[in-house]
Amino acid sequence: MILRYILLFLFAVGFCSIAQAQLDSIQNLDEVILSDSKLKIYGAGIKIEKLNDSVITKNATSLTSLLSFNSNVYFKENGFGMVSSPSFRGTGASQTAVIWNGININSQLNGQTDFNTVNTNNFGSITIRSGGGSVQYGSGAIGGSIHLNNNLKFYSHFNNSIRLTYGSFNTKTSYISSSYGNSKLSLNVGVASVNSDNDYKYLGTDRVNENGAFENLSINVNMGYFLSEKDILKLYHQSYDGERLFSGTLVAPSNSKYEDNTHRTLLEWNRISGKLSSKLKLVHLFEKFKFFENKTTDIYTFGKVSTWLLNYNLNMRLSNKLQFRTITEVSNFRGGGSSFGDPNRTAFSTTALINHKPNKQFEYNFNIRKDFTSDFKNPLLFSVDGAYTLSKYYTIQFNGSKNFRIPTFNDLYWKPGGNLDLEPEQSYQFDLGHNFRLKSFDFKLNTYYINTKDLIQWRPNSSGIWQPINVAKSLSYGLEIEEQSTLKINKNQHLSFKGRYSYTISENQETKKQLIYVPFHKGNLSVAYSNKAFSMYYQHLFNGEVAIIGDRLEGFNVGNIGIGYLFNKKGKTQYDINFRINNLYNKNYQNVSLRPMPNRNYQILTTIKF
Amino acid sequence: MKLNKLLVVTLFLGLFFTSCSNDDDNTPQEPKGDYENGILISHEGNFGKGNASVSFVSFDLSTVENNVFNAVNAELLGDTAQSIAFNGDLAYIVLNVSNKIEVVNRYTFESVTTIDTGLNNPRYIAFLNGKGYVTNWGDGTNATDDYVAVIDLATNTLESATISVVEGPEEIIATNTAIYVAHKGGFSQNNKVSVIANTSVSTTITVGDVPNSLQLDNSGNLWVLCGGKPAWTQAETAGQLFKINTSDNSTTSIDFEGMQHPSFLSYDDGKLFYYLGGEVYSMTSSSTALPTTSIISDLTFYNMTVNDGVLYGVDAKDFASNGTLTSYDLSTNTEVNSTTLRIIPAGIYFN
Repeated sequence: MILRYILLFLFAVGFCSIAQAQLDSIQNLDEVILSDSKLKIYGAGIKIEKLNDSVITKNATSLTSLLSFNSNVYFKENGFGMVSSPSFRGTGASQTAVIWNGININSQLNGQTDFNTVNTNNFGSITIRSGGGSVQYGSGAIGGSIHLNNNLKFYSHFNNSIRLTYGSFNTKTSYISSSYGNSKLSLNVGVASVNSDNDYKYLGTDRVNENGAFENLSINVNMGYFLSEKDILKLYHQSYDGERLFSGTLVAPSNSKYEDNTHRTLLEWNRISGKLSSKLKLVHLFEKFKFFENKTTDIYTFGKVSTWLLNYNLNMRLSNKLQFRTITEVSNFRGGGSSFGDPNRTAFSTTALINHKPNKQFEYNFNIRKDFTSDFKNPLLFSVDGAYTLSKYYTIQFNGSKNFRIPTFNDLYWKPGGNLDLEPEQSYQFDLGHNFRLKSFDFKLNTYYINTKDLIQWRPNSSGIWQPINVAKSLSYGLEIEEQSTLKINKNQHLSFKGRYSYTISENQETKKQLIYVPFHKGNLSVAYSNKAFSMYYQHLFNGEVAIIGDRLEGFNVGNIGIGYLFNKKGKTQYDINFRINNLYNKNYQNVSLRPMPNRNYQILTTIKF
Repeated sequence: MKLNKLLVVTLFLGLFFTSCSNDDDNTPQEPKGDYENGILISHEGNFGKGNASVSFVSFDLSTVENNVFNAVNAELLGDTAQSIAFNGDLAYIVLNVSNKIEVVNRYTFESVTTIDTGLNNPRYIAFLNGKGYVTNWGDGTNATDDYVAVIDLATNTLESATISVVEGPEEIIATNTAIYVAHKGGFSQNNKVSVIANTSVSTTITVGDVPNSLQLDNSGNLWVLCGGKPAWTQAETAGQLFKINTSDNSTTSIDFEGMQHPSFLSYDDGKLFYYLGGEVYSMTSSSTALPTTSIISDLTFYNMTVNDGVLYGVDAKDFASNGTLTSYDLSTNTEVNSTTLRIIPAGIYFN
């Protein structure tokens, strides 16, 4: 255990020449190289939950369904596969940052990530970091951040895997990947595709989900190479190409289509030299969308942004107890689109992080950041977090921070309405966490407080034109409970249980009313049982009632069940077959008002590893 | 001839705009329904959110019944109620985003039929000689597919032939012989009024930029209030008030000063009313100059209408909370009553 801890620590700071014999399974190796080491070392006081490969593959359709059932994050989904936006701790979609291998990839156009455009198959692990993180992760990390990580494995291997699913509504997904490595080189390549007619039945009516078909293709290539014992070069690339028809509502038909493209490339040079380690990153991000009001014509509106980013990261281990890091980043964003000409923006940020472990029980971090942007002024950001281990069984975590969200390209430049006088949203947050850990039982209780001012909202101005202004204030507070336990029944049989519940108050400070689409109550649980090669699981989601404009939308319960069998478990070539029923109780429910979600549906998943 | 025309126009206006409360008949009549003798307010609701509704309000604003269509017919009205128009005992509720027209009995609000084929971004409807004429933007992003759909009022079904028109047909009004369509411009800006006789455009009249409202007066003139192009287009123009003589379609106009953008033209008893910069202005229709002072100020109207010496204005507030309806006595220009309605009240009609 201690050995593993040390290893993890060493690798977290980027020391990568590992003795593979000491690690007993692939599972551990997954954790060996986190592309984003800030998550671990400068985050002792932050609630972090990691979803590993096995959880990801069970929920292989989209990031929305993965996180709905496996985190406290709440989603607003415009019908299955359509635009999906998260609400983390009562905040909005643009206050949740999505981080790809350490880089914030929220759209520069609307400040959000559509969680149905992220194919989870592409990632080795997905980490949920609750609470403010703007110091480390920049704009939008207010409620929390979702981290999509690709892992590089430096040991001798050559593995291939083919994963195929077929399900109701002619939904097909495939993921083909190949991973090769030795002590100097690591290379993995994956191609993922999804396509679906998505013409599910609207329960309680004689209609189906019309104009809801979607398909997407994504490719990822990740490579690492030791130039010398001290230098490692890493390359991460991902391309995504999606086409969706946007379905209508129960009272409005739709004939529209949406195409989106993203390309992300990260080239990183790590150098570890004694107590100093440095990372130089060069990043290119590209996003583009085309919206066709009428899918049968070729008339469309579009928006695109190309981002170049240079980031230098220097870590100094002053002693075993104290380390210090500086991050300097310069970025340039060039946009273009039907509704805003060709704006461009340059930003510079500088960050300092200090990690101190005065003794074995206590560890804390103090971080500050300042951004300089060509269009507006930015606040000085800071965060403090710490963890105190009171006993083997109990750790207390705390963190407090000031975070921000910058105005998006749409907010600034949209015609009509774009407002160049906007300032970033500012938010203070505090979080207190209790972690109880027994042998096969983990329990976390977090309480938090988030106070946000200068919230950007679009409102009609005196001439009737919608315009964004820094107008609203919101206050969110609540609690989150997470429980995890595993039970080894005997040598072959395991039972595991995970449950989460969150209670969220998120009020508009003007009206003192709960914000729309923030449920007071959300909970989920999953139970998994395995006996040798056989496994089964059940997942349940409870989503409480939410306020919508002028009305309420009732809450719902949905359950999924799955069984699986792994053939040739010990052999070189393994076959895994799974059968899954989604919406087991055939519940008629809506995530967003008037946009029904699918009826009971079935899915077969097979994986071949060789 | 002129007198005859005047009579017809007056009769038409009577049918179209005034309430049935003016019946001088003293013998008690069977009420035609719960929603007779009052004001109907159409609520757009939020675009794409399917929360359009209609409220019934008494003339003194003391009683309000919201969600009338839903209450009577046990179904949702639809998405973005753009306008309502009356023909006989029927009300035609035009739902822009739902691409449909709900036809109901105007007094009971019981559903008669739903016209939900052949419409694409429908906006307004007018009636002439047994036909209903519906302005449609077509696809908002397509400047060349705009049309006027024709409904056979005997069957309330759409006729297969449509009338192709220039971009952005918005308000529509019928004289006794022709249909006039104001082309506000849809997503863009336009400056035309189309004249439709039978099933084709007979004349296209150029007016000011962004013709946003139409009114017929007692002398056979069609008044067209043009808002002008807004500043964000970077080709800003000031508003203009156009008068079209419907006998020969000749025009005269008055320019607004500076970069003023007026809207919500109303007509009542020989006077024109319009809204500009949070204030209401009034002028006699014979005036050749615009008024320099307003009659009511400090307003945030989303729409307004004048009826029988009373001005009714709706305020959509922040578009996410309940809006209001307020009435003003035009003999004193003071507020009389105010009441809270639903999300985005937008159209005011007298039943």
